[in-house]
Order: sequence, then C-alpha cells, then structure tokens
Amino acid sequence: MAQSFPYTYYSCDCYDSKAATVAAKRASAQLQPEEDEEGRTFDPRNPRSNYSLYPLEHLLYCQDCQQVRCPRCVIEETLNWFCPSCLFEVPSSVVKSDGNRCTRNCYNCPVCTSPMNVSSLEDPNDPSTSGGPWILSCPYCRWSTLETRIEFEKHTAITAQLSRIANGGKPILTAKERDKDREKRMEQDKRKSRDILSGSEDSPTGDQQKSDEVPSHDELFSNLAAFYKSQLAAQTPSNPFSPHDINFSSPSSFSRIMNLYSTTTSKKQKREKPTPMRETASTLEGLTIHDPSTDAAAIERIRKDGWSSTLSPTQKLAQPNPNIRFSSELRPVAALLCTKRGKRCRNCRHILSKPESKITSTRYKIKLLALNHIPRLSLRALEPPAAPGTPAPPPFDYSALKSGIPQHFVLQLANPLFDPIRVTLATPSTTPGKVQSRVTILCPQFEVGANTDVWDDALSSSVSPVKSGGASSSIEAGKIWDRGRNWTSVVIEVVPGFLRDLLAKEGEGEELDEDEDVLEIPVFVRLQWEADVNAEERGLGDSMGKKGEREKREEAFWTVVGVGRIVRL
Amino acid sequence: MASTAAGERKASAPLSRSIRGATPRIQDLGSTPESPRTPPLLRSTSSLFGSPGAFRNNEDEYIVFELGARFLRGGFPGESSPRCTLPFGPEEQRRVGDFRQWDPDYSHKRRKRKRGQDWGQDHELYRMDLTEVDLGLVEDKLERAMREAYNKYFLLDPKPRRILLTLPPRIPHALLSTMLEVLFENFQAPTITLLSSPVLSAVGAGLRSALVVDIGWAETIITGVCEYREVSEARTIRAGKLLSEEMARLLNAGLEDEVEQGAPKPEISFEEANEVLTRVGWCKSKPKSGRSTLYFPARTSPILEEFEDAVEVPEPTITIPFPKNDPPTELSVPLVDLAKPAETVLFAPGTALSEFDNDELPLHHLIYRTLLSLPMDVRRLCMSRIVITGGVSNLPGLKTRILAELEALIQQRGWDPVRSYGSASARHDAILRQRKEDLEIRLEEADDKVSESLDPDSPPPPLSAGLQQPEEDAIDVKLAHLTLRNGPPPTSSIGGVIRGVETLGAWAGASLVAQLRIKGIVEIERERFLQYGLQGANREKEVSVVPQRQSMGPGVGRGAGERASWTLGVWA
Repeated sequence: MAQSFPYTYYSCDCYDSKAATVAAKRASAQLQPEEDEEGRTFDPRNPRSNYSLYPLEHLLYCQDCQQVRCPRCVIEETLNWFCPSCLFEVPSSVVKSDGNRCTRNCYNCPVCTSPMNVSSLEDPNDPSTSGGPWILSCPYCRWSTLETRIEFEKHTAITAQLSRIANGGKPILTAKERDKDREKRMEQDKRKSRDILSGSEDSPTGDQQKSDEVPSHDELFSNLAAFYKSQLAAQTPSNPFSPHDINFSSPSSFSRIMNLYSTTTSKKQKREKPTPMRETASTLEGLTIHDPSTDAAAIERIRKDGWSSTLSPTQKLAQPNPNIRFSSELRPVAALLCTKRGKRCRNCRHILSKPESKITSTRYKIKLLALNHIPRLSLRALEPPAAPGTPAPPPFDYSALKSGIPQHFVLQLANPLFDPIRVTLATPSTTPGKVQSRVTILCPQFEVGANTDVWDDALSSSVSPVKSGGASSSIEAGKIWDRGRNWTSVVIEVVPGFLRDLLAKEGEGEELDEDEDVLEIPVFVRLQWEADVNAEERGLGDSMGKKGEREKREEAFWTVVGVGRIVRL
Repeated sequence: MASTAAGERKASAPLSRSIRGATPRIQDLGSTPESPRTPPLLRSTSSLFGSPGAFRNNEDEYIVFELGARFLRGGFPGESSPRCTLPFGPEEQRRVGDFRQWDPDYSHKRRKRKRGQDWGQDHELYRMDLTEVDLGLVEDKLERAMREAYNKYFLLDPKPRRILLTLPPRIPHALLSTMLEVLFENFQAPTITLLSSPVLSAVGAGLRSALVVDIGWAETIITGVCEYREVSEARTIRAGKLLSEEMARLLNAGLEDEVEQGAPKPEISFEEANEVLTRVGWCKSKPKSGRSTLYFPARTSPILEEFEDAVEVPEPTITIPFPKNDPPTELSVPLVDLAKPAETVLFAPGTALSEFDNDELPLHHLIYRTLLSLPMDVRRLCMSRIVITGGVSNLPGLKTRILAELEALIQQRGWDPVRSYGSASARHDAILRQRKEDLEIRLEEADDKVSESLDPDSPPPPLSAGLQQPEEDAIDVKLAHLTLRNGPPPTSSIGGVIRGVETLGAWAGASLVAQLRIKGIVEIERERFLQYGLQGANREKEVSVVPQRQSMGPGVGRGAGERASWTLGVWA
C-alpha cells in the first residue's frame, strides 16, 4: 500500500466482538450465523478489513479491559475548540452560536484550499487613511475576492464584513433586517391585493415576483421558516398550555384548566376545527416556481465560458452552500475549527487518552498506547552477507519481488512488557487473494524476553546471543534466528505467487486491480505470559505482601504484514 | 420562571423556540387539523407544580441527517444548508495511515474499475438489492462517515443528541436496521426520528401536496405526496448511474478518436465522467423541434431557440481537460453532444413505449402514469406542484425539459388511461379534439379568473351547458371576495395546470421540521431498539400519535414524547 514496505497493520476485533454480543442478545438474529471465529482466517483483501486494520501507533490500550482500542471502539469527548490557523481557543458557547468555523480572519481559498492573506489594494499615489480597500487573496493560486468583486473596508473582522457582502458587492441583509424587510413587503402586498379587490384590474400576485431577483438559498430558507412559524402560531393562537405564558387571569385558559377536572363535559364541547395550515403563496413565504430562464441562463453560461468557469465536485463540497455551479459564486471558506479530544474506552468508560488543555501544548496528561502493551512486529529481508572485499549489494527492493523465487525474511517481535512472553505465530500457507504466495514461518513458537532495564543487556551474561553461529547457516526449521534482551526474530520463507497465471486464466485485457500485486501476509499472533496480579496497584501497601502472586494472561490478534510488491516477470 | 427566561436566552437565534409547547406532528398537520393545537398537557402540569420546562432545551436538541446512496448530509436544525456533505468514495475507504491520495503522482493516475464491480459501485453506500450488499461493509462505511461528521464538522460536546434521519420511503429492513444500529450504538442517540425524503422535499418547497420527482443515483423515485402523506410511488432506473455511464461512453468515444491504432482503448474513470457531468452536462430544454409544433400551441416561452433550429457557425464546443489520461490530453466536445446523455438516458426518444421494461420507463412517461393513477382531486393538486429534486436535477435545462415533455404528453393524451382505442380511435380522436379546444378556452379563462369573476357582464363563451358558467350570484361574489381577503391567497390553492416548484431539498426540509419541533410518526427509542431491534415495532402502519387527553392522571410520569408502542410507518 502507500506506506513504504515493509509495514505491519494490527487488526482490532471490535466489530466481531460487538456483532457476537448483539446476535446473542437479540432473540431473532437476522444476520446469518457467522463461521466460528477460530476457524476463520483474516483476509486483508476483504474491503471490510480496511476498517479494522490500523498501524500500531494509532491504537490505544485499555488496561481494565486488557484489550486494544481502535478509533472505532473509543468514545471521544471534546475538551476545547481552537482554530488551527490562528490558534485561538474558541469557547463552547461561541461554537454553539457561531458554528464550527473561525470567526476571525482565517480563510481558505475556495479554489485550492490554501490559507488566504488579507492584502491591501491601496493606490500608492492616493493613499487612503485606512490603508484599504482590502481583499482576501490566495498566495498559491492567485485567486482573490476581487474575482467575485468583494472588497473590505477594514483589514480586521473579515468575517463580519464578508457576511454582509454578497458576491458582486451587493449588501446582504442580516437575519433581523431580513425579517423586517419581509414584514414590510408582506404588508405592501396585502395592501396591494386589497386595492385589487376593491376595483383595480391587476392580478393579485402579478408583478411583484418579477421585480425581484432570484432570492438566495439562505433567503428562501429564512422566508420559509418564517412562514411555517407564522402558520403554526396561527394554529395555536394563545398557546394556552405552554409553560411560560399560562395565564390564570384569562377566562379561557382558566375554563380549560377547570375542564380538565370535569371529564364529563369536556368531551362534548368540541372546539371548532381550525383550518389546516395553508401552503406558501409567494416568494416572501418561500415559494419558488420553476423558472425556465434560469436554466437557459446556466446553459448559455456554460456555452460561453466553458469548462474553466465551472466548479469541480471537491470545490463544491467545500463551499458553505454546495448547490452552486459557477466560479463566480465562490465564497472564501472560513477555516474549520479543530478540537482537542479525550478518549474513553467504549466498554468501561475509562479514560484512554487526554491531552493537555493548553492549545499550543502537544503533551498528554493520560496516554495509554497500544505500543506499550502489544509487541511490535517488524519484517525485513534477509540478505546474504556480502563476501569481504566485494562491494555491498544494492539494498533489497521490496517493491520488486520476483515471482516463484523463494526469499527469506526476518520477522522480529519486540516485547514492551515487563514480563517474558511466549509467542505463537500462525499464518495460512498461501496468502488469500488472487495472487497466491506460499508462506512458511520456520519457527512459529518461541519466547521473547522481558523489557527489563536497558543495562541488563550489557551486564547479564546469561543472555547468549545465538548470532555467533553466523547468519546463513542457521536457517533451520524450529529454530529462532536471533534474540536480544526483549526481542526475538524468526525467519519466514516466502515464495511470491505468479501474476501471469492469473492473467492467463482471466483472458486477455483483464488487468490486476489496484494493489492486488501487493504481497500481504496475515499473521495470527498469540501471546501468553504471567503477570503480577493488579500490577497497576502494586504501589499500594495492601498488595505488598502478595507480590509474588502471578496470573496467566493471554492475548491474541491478527496482524497483516505487508512484504512488498510482486513484479511481472 | 426566571430559569425559563434563562433557557430562552440560551436558545440562540437559529434555534429560537417561538412555538414551544406546540408539538404538532407532520402528518397530523394534514389529516387531523386538530393536532397542531394539541399541547403537551404534561408539560403544563409540570409547570403548574413549579418546575418550569427548561430541561427541554437539552432534551430536544437534534442533529439532522440525510442519508442517500452516495452522500451523507448532516447539520443542525434551523440552518439552511448542511454542515457537511460527505461522499462514500473509495478515498474514504482506505486504511488508516494510507496517505496515497495526497501523493502528487497518484492524482495523475487513473483509477481502474475493479473486476466484477458495477459502474460507480465503490462510490455508493448501499444499493437496494441486498444480495449484492455486504451489510457489515455498509456499517463500516457509515460509521466512518458519521464519525467524520461528528468529529470534524459538528464539534459537539459529548451530550447525546436526538437524530432526525431522512431516508427514502422504502428501504430494506436489514439495511435500515444496520443504519439504526450504527447511530444508536456508536453515537449514543437517545431517539431517532425517521422522516421520508419526499415529504421533506415538499416541506422544503413550502407545499403540502406535491409530486416529488427524486432523480437520485440508482433510481428515480416519483412519489405523490398529498397533505404530507405518500399516496403513490413509482420507480425507474433512469437516473444518475446510467447517466454517468452514458457520459463515460461518450467521452471514451471522443478519446478513442485521438489515440493511434494499436494503443489500448482509453477507459475513463467514474470520477472523471462524474466531474464532466456535473460541470458541463446539460439537457435540451425542449424536445426535438419536429414535434414541437404538435406539442406546443403557442403557450410556451420562446427560449433557447438557437440550440435546436439554427445551427451555429462555428458550432460551440467545450474543451475538457483529462489530466489523468496517459498522456494528459484535452478533448473538445461539441456542446450539443454534452446534452445527449441526458436525452438518451432520461427520456429515451425514438424508442416505442412498448419496448420498455417496467422498471425503465422514461421519466416523463412515468410521471404521467403516476399522475394518471392518482385520484382526480389529488392529481389536480399534484400536477401543479411538481417538485424535481435529487442530484441529477441540478443539470441545467432538465427541469424545464421534464415539465415541457409532461405538458406535451398531457396535451396529446389527456387524462385517459386507455392508450389505444383500436377501431374506435376515430371517434376518440374527435372527442379528444373537442376536449382540447375546451381546455384551451378554459385555460384562457384561468388566466384572468379574478377579472372574470369581478366582471359578470362579460360575454358568455359559446360552450355546452356543462361547461357554461353558472349564473353569477351576488352573494357568491361577495363570499369569494371574503375568502380572497381573509383566507389563503389564490396561488396557494392553484391546481390543474402543470407547474414546477423548486425545493430547497430534503435536508433543508428536515432542518425546518426539526426547528419547528414537529415530531415524526416514526420515533425510535434507543433502549427499545437495542432490546428488540426492528422486530419491536408495531405492525400497524398507522398508530395514533396524538397524545390521549384522558390519560392525565396516571400518565403524568411519562414524558410527552414517549409512546407505548412505536411504528415504522412507511418503512414497515
């Protein structure tokens, strides 16, 4: 894959374990009964495995559940919000009211997404007092708000200014002004229609729509919202039972309350049915009749300006209003706020990681990494030692594995635990997928030493490196390759499969899918070790006496080792 | 009361609660007009006992999602557009730590379609045919997209929020169950309200009844909505998927001309075809000029004449860059050609109607059939409230074209379910001609209805007795005036003519519904769902969701929104 070879991915089995519990909980399991987990081998080619495989660095470890926790099986909670571009912390109340974007001057280019600068358009011959007018411009692709004819008077509070200017320089009304304006115009319309009824010949809804330009998406939405609100308010005139305006002095609500207690009468006095809420009738209420001329205008524009005036899907999706088509409708995109999040285990709710709350600090208060609890697997090619005198052979090319030629690799396990572990490795003899390679682990069972003090290595004499035997001689089934203080390595023999077979079978013209030529070996790792009971509570005086008590622990998981890319012969 | 005021202040502008207390349900607005004024009595009692309902602020915060086959839209109620629109593309399905999409070389490489995969299959979340769907994979994809929405775009505090989920009105139960499971288990939603997207499209257009034509990804769904209820539904596979495939074919043919003999045939990727389609794809606004004389007797606006009749010199072309091609190239396509995919895929001209399978009728025929199958009064409402929505509907010219084709069909056929009269066709033609004349006269009348009614002296048209205006009654005129003045304006009760209405989309409709605190019929509670799954739903489609007035005494302890049983409504 795109990671450089060789790499190791760890699989988190949170989905499987969840599915099992759900199926057991529910009496009627709709899902077909899955195979026994023991009998199943992990298939890295399955599209689903993309969601359960993680590099070891991305995994956390819950000490209470004694399980790996991947991003899927943690609960995240936001600690604080900040703008990644100006590193300003935003209080949660502002996030609620102003949304998820920076409200200062942090804007990204709508064309190429790079951060934009505020720059001055000042005429050097005729300097203005404020130094303006100002624009936002992109230092990378040279797009600027001038292209949509937006200029600012001040170089600060760009967001506030931008929210008041539409593309083309026309002002946008704020929500309040819009409400006022709408009311005023509704009033006018009403008067006009009354005039019509009293004698004039115009049609009631005629000309007012045409005089308007096409209202924007936002405008329509607010019109519609106001319309529904007014309609619903008309339906529930006094809102007799809402908590805030209950009025005991009003006879109507008082009688209603009394009615509650006299069930016999209340049934008979049926209130008259209110008229159902009506539909919208004008643009001011949010109605837009389809207008063929907008369609025609859009086609005309495509014809005239061609490809470059239109927007790509990514550019559209990044816009606050994704329903636009032309580059003249682009708006600068305010920077999305980032958060610092703490993570908790989904099962036991214990905190797994918690960053320091200061924005500029990258340190963590709590951080339980899987790195410190799960042995790290790593692979490297075993190269024949260069004979003395000859120049060193070129480094092994992992992205050019040769089909059919056996190649030895060294698989190394490094133990982060403070106890020695017994490891059992297992792998299917041929890799799953179209290109089948044969894999043999020469020594599937071995022990790895404890992660003791670094100096132990140097001081103790008991650890006797096997290395002395020489490299090439000891490739032997059942024997480990090498051993250090807290690591052990074994040899894997891999015979990369043939791409050609596949092509011949599938016929001409068929080509391999992306990444099908990558050799990935699923390896099942099982660990056993003895640990102190309640190792984390060892400091307590209580457990001092029982220090010798040990318990057996076991851990098992799938990993995927990416070896390299097979090349065609 | 002080805390109530505080609660009010806390509710910021976009989430203002002017109509707190009233929790009408969307479908009730139509059928039982009583319910909008049904206040939650329990709330009032609690306030009587001195605890104002400030807790509602927390309890009722919603997140609005719209889940389509290819996109997830999510945001907050009261906002006009969603906070995020997330695609389910292959780039979103990579392993963690796989950063190849940022590799400069990678962006110049063309992605190949995987063996055995359908066109665009790796861009979709689900498909209706569940035999081809790995539900686990759907769950994975949805979970990842949701996590991105929550963590990157919503930036919420950990408080659980209710979810308002907009779904197409028919979805397999296994799929629905999978989606709900993700939302309940991974995102801790206390309740999920399901609303059907055609109804919300109607809400987003400001209508109560509509014929919603949702031209989506895999299929076009035409739903007749009457008073916020789905009354009929029809589907056709003529939609976005076929359209982009056809566009790819067109572009491939264009590119093939450029490569020299012997070189491998170019096969452009889904992304490229899709980009061309969304950027410069369009649709002719009028059917072929040959037929237009038959179809359009003087009532259409003279637009875009030049595109069909006068051949422009030089013919306008669009230059489309293909940076992913090997070698990178540019292709000049005549503008007229770019309208062809929409033409052939959506309208299929030149194919006899009898050759289509049931699931591949052209759009205008299917709309016509759906209208025809509706009862007459519903048809009257629906035909003048045609709401065209869905991703493909953004193609310029498409809406105009659909409406024009539909109008032509109606002009041609009328509302007669019989298509061929065989030997009696001559007589039928005569009837039809007569009817057409009448229609035109009536349309003329409709144009100046008000002045007509105001002016009782106008010369009566020479009509048969059935069509003649009844005698004008002075009282009637007065009543008509009154309704005009006090009742709804005449435009809101228009019917009987073809009219297209624009909608803000299903998501915006859902946002409105959530902002107005309207409860849905289908409200699923977390505990119940996790216990029983979808099996726990009431079998009946219609359950009474109007709170029972008489249940005051023992029911005080129950929350207003809680119900004894829940239903799946249209999804059942």
